[in-house]
Amino acid sequence: MKIIDYGMLLFGGIILFYMLFVIVSYCAMFIIAMLDLRKSYRLDPSEYDDAHIDAFYSKPVSLLVPAYNEEVGVVDTVYSLLNLRYPQTEIIIINDGSTDQTLQTVIEHFQMKPISKIVRTNIPTKQIKQIYESEIYKNCILVDKENGGKADALNVGINVSQYPYFCSIDGDSILDEKSLLRVMKPIILSDGEVIAAGGNIRIANGAKMQYGSIYETQLPTNYLVIMQVIEYLRAFLMGRIALSKFNLVLIISGAFSVFSKKWAVEAGGYSTNIIGEDMELVVTIHRLIKEKKEKKRIEFVPDPVCWTEAPQTLGVLRNQRRRWHQGLFESLWKHKKMTLNPRYGKIGFISFPYFWLVECLGPIVELGGYIYIVIAFFLGKIYYEIALILLLLFVIYGVIFSIAAILFESWSMNTYPKKRELLRMILLAFTEIFWYRPLTLFWRCEGLIRFLLRKSDWGNMKRVGIAEKEKSQ
Amino acid sequence: MIKLSISFLITIIAILLVVLFIFMVYLLVQRQRESHFENARDRYIQNYSQLWYDYLFNKEHFSMVLVPRGRAQVEAIELIFSSYLKNIINEKVQCDIKQFSNQYLKKFYEKDLLSKRWSIRMNALYRIADLQIDELLIMCQEFEKTKISEEEYFQLLKIYSIFQSNLFMEKIKMPIVSYSESEYRRLFVLLEDDVFIRFFDDFNSWPANIQFAVIDTAPVKRNMQYIDQLKKLLSHDVAEINIRALKGLYEMGVIDEIESYIPFVTSDMWEARLMVAKVFKHVPLTYSYSYLEQLLQDENWWVRSQAAKTIVEDRYGIAKLQQFIESSNDQYAIEMAQEIAARKEENK
Repeated sequence: MKIIDYGMLLFGGIILFYMLFVIVSYCAMFIIAMLDLRKSYRLDPSEYDDAHIDAFYSKPVSLLVPAYNEEVGVVDTVYSLLNLRYPQTEIIIINDGSTDQTLQTVIEHFQMKPISKIVRTNIPTKQIKQIYESEIYKNCILVDKENGGKADALNVGINVSQYPYFCSIDGDSILDEKSLLRVMKPIILSDGEVIAAGGNIRIANGAKMQYGSIYETQLPTNYLVIMQVIEYLRAFLMGRIALSKFNLVLIISGAFSVFSKKWAVEAGGYSTNIIGEDMELVVTIHRLIKEKKEKKRIEFVPDPVCWTEAPQTLGVLRNQRRRWHQGLFESLWKHKKMTLNPRYGKIGFISFPYFWLVECLGPIVELGGYIYIVIAFFLGKIYYEIALILLLLFVIYGVIFSIAAILFESWSMNTYPKKRELLRMILLAFTEIFWYRPLTLFWRCEGLIRFLLRKSDWGNMKRVGIAEKEKSQ
Repeated sequence: MIKLSISFLITIIAILLVVLFIFMVYLLVQRQRESHFENARDRYIQNYSQLWYDYLFNKEHFSMVLVPRGRAQVEAIELIFSSYLKNIINEKVQCDIKQFSNQYLKKFYEKDLLSKRWSIRMNALYRIADLQIDELLIMCQEFEKTKISEEEYFQLLKIYSIFQSNLFMEKIKMPIVSYSESEYRRLFVLLEDDVFIRFFDDFNSWPANIQFAVIDTAPVKRNMQYIDQLKKLLSHDVAEINIRALKGLYEMGVIDEIESYIPFVTSDMWEARLMVAKVFKHVPLTYSYSYLEQLLQDENWWVRSQAAKTIVEDRYGIAKLQQFIESSNDQYAIEMAQEIAARKEENK
C-alpha cells in the first residue's frame, strides 16, 4: 500500500510539475503574440500590398501543388493560385501517380498539352512520365510522375521550377488572393536573410467558395471541425508567433510555405523516408544555417491565410493526428544530436527541448493526468485533492487558453464575424477537456507507438471538398 | 497546502473567466461600434462619390457637403481618393486631391501623428505621402525628433523624397537605419531624374544595398542618360555590381555596341555569362552568334538555356539552332537547342 502511495504521489507530482511548466510556457508565448499583434492592430495593410504588387519590388515564385488522388479539390486549388495577386508566378501541379481522375481532370480543365522539356535533376526523384503545359494559362504546368509520395512530388516540382523561391501548397488548399504577397514580405524586406516563411492555416469547412476564392467564411456545423478550428487558433497564438519572433520555428505547415530553392536543394530537398517532410526540411535547413554559420532566418507570418479542409470524421482525424505525431517524433529523433548542443544555439537549447517536452512527450504526460484522475476516483483519500488540482490545471490549459485564443483572434483578425459563431466557439471550448482533448492525446500517443514500431503509411486523407455546393465545374 | 492550492486555482480560474467575459463584452460592443462606423462610411461613399467624380473630372463646383465630418467620412474620402490615385494618372485630379487634403484632412493626420498607437501614426504617414499633404512637412520633421520606429523613419524618408528631395539626400547620407534593397527601390523610384542621377556621382561611397537598389531602379526610370552610367559600372571591381549593371542594361533594351559586353562571355561567374546571353537579345544575331554559340556550350545549365532562348528569338534563330544541332558534338548543348527549338515551333 505504501508503494502505491509513493507511486501515486510521484506520478501526480510529475504531472503537476509538467502542467505548470506547459501553462507558464503557453502564457509567455501568448503574451508575446498579443504584443506582436497589438502593434499592427488597425494598420492599413493595403499600403504594402499595393507597393509590392509590382514585379520590381518582389521576387518570382514557383507554386508547387503535389496531388495524389485530389480530383475533388485540385481544380479549385489551381484557380485560387491563378487568382493570386502576385506579379510573377508559375504553377506546377505534380500528379504523383494518382489512381483516380486527378490527371484527366487537370488536363481537361486547363487544356494541358504535352511538351518536351529538359529537367535539371537537382534532387534525385522518381521518374517523370510527361510534362504538360496549359494552353489557357501559359504559366501553368502539369507534371505526371510515378508514385513516390508527397515529398518526392515536391522534389520533382523543385527540379522543374525555374524561379529562386518555391511555395508548396496542398492539393486541397485555397490561398487568399494576397497571401503570397504577404508571406513573401519578410523574404523581400530582409534582402534574403529570411530563407523560408510559412503562413497561417485556417479551416475552410463550411466556407462559401467559387472558382478558388472564399467569399464568405462560416463556422462549420460539425462539432469535431469546430474543435479543430479552435485548436488551430490556439496553436497559432500560443506557439508559432512567439517562436518565430526568436527564430525558433521548427514547423511551418507544408500546406502553405515558401522556401528559398537554393537552401532547399542544399538541404537535399524534402525527405522521402520520413512522414513529416515539411518539418524535416525546416529542421534540416536550421541545421545547415548553424553549420554554415550564416545569419538566416525562418519565419511564421500570421497574416497570410491558407484555407484547408479539416477531417470531418473521427477515423480520418485519428489517422491525421497519428501521422503528424509520428512525423514529429521521427524528425526530432533524426536530429536528436541537436538537442542541448551548443553548436546549434537557441534551436538546440530552446526549440528542441520545447518540442521534445511539450509537443512530443506532452501527450504521454497529459494522458497520464487523465488516467491519474480516473484512478484517484477509485482510490479516494488524498488523491481526490491532487486529482482536483490536476483537473483545474486542465481547465486553465484547455478551456481558458482556448477561450482567450478565440477572443483574441476575433479582436485582431475577426475571421468569424457573427456573434453567434463566436459564442458557439466559446461554449464548445468549455467541453474540450472532456472529449476532444483526451481523444487527440490518445491518437498522438498512438503515433508515438507507431514510431517505435516503425510503422508507416501514406494515409492520404479522404476529401469531400471544401465547399461542396459551390464546387467549380 | 493542497487545499490552499485548490482554492488558489479556483480563484485564478474565476478571475480569468471574469476577465475573458469582460473582454468578450468589450469585443461585442466594439463590433457594434465598428458596424456603425462602416455604415457611416459606406453611406458617405454612396451619397457623395458621384459628386466627387463630377468635381474632379467634370470640373463642377466644389460643394461643402463633401467636407468630412468625423472619422468615418475621412475614411470614405481616403477610399475614394485612393481608387482614383491608383488607377488614373491625371495631374489636375492629383492637384485637386492634394489641395483638398491639405485644406480639410490635414488636421486629422496631425492629430494621428501624436497618437500613442504605432499603427495609427503609420497610417497617418501613409496618407501624408499618398495624398501629398505637404503642409505637414514641418510637423513631420518635428515628428522625426521624437522616438520613432524604423518603419516610421522609412515613411518619413518617402515623404521627404516627394516634398523635398534635398532634405531626402541629406537624410539618406546619414546611415541611421539600413533598409532592404526593395525598400530603397521604393524610395528611389519616386525621385526626379536630376536628383536620382546624383547617386551615380559618388557611387562607391554608398553602402552595398543602396548601390544595388540604384542600379536596379535606373532601368525602370526609362531614361537614356542612365545607359552610360550603367556601362561605367561594367568595369567595377565588384562582380555583383557588374552582373546587376548587365541586367539593368538588358532591361533598358538599348545596346549600341557589343565590345563592352564581350569580356563577360568568358566570365568566371555563371550569372554574368547568363546576363550577357540575355543582353544579346537586343543585338542582331549576325554580331552575337559566335558568342552565343560559345554560351550554348557553357558548363552551366541556365547559361545554355538562356543562350538557346536568345538565339531562337531571332528571325533566323531556329535555322541557326538546327545548324548547330547538326554540327556540334556537345550532347548537353544539342539537347538544349533541340528543346528550345521544339518549344518555339510549338508556340508558333
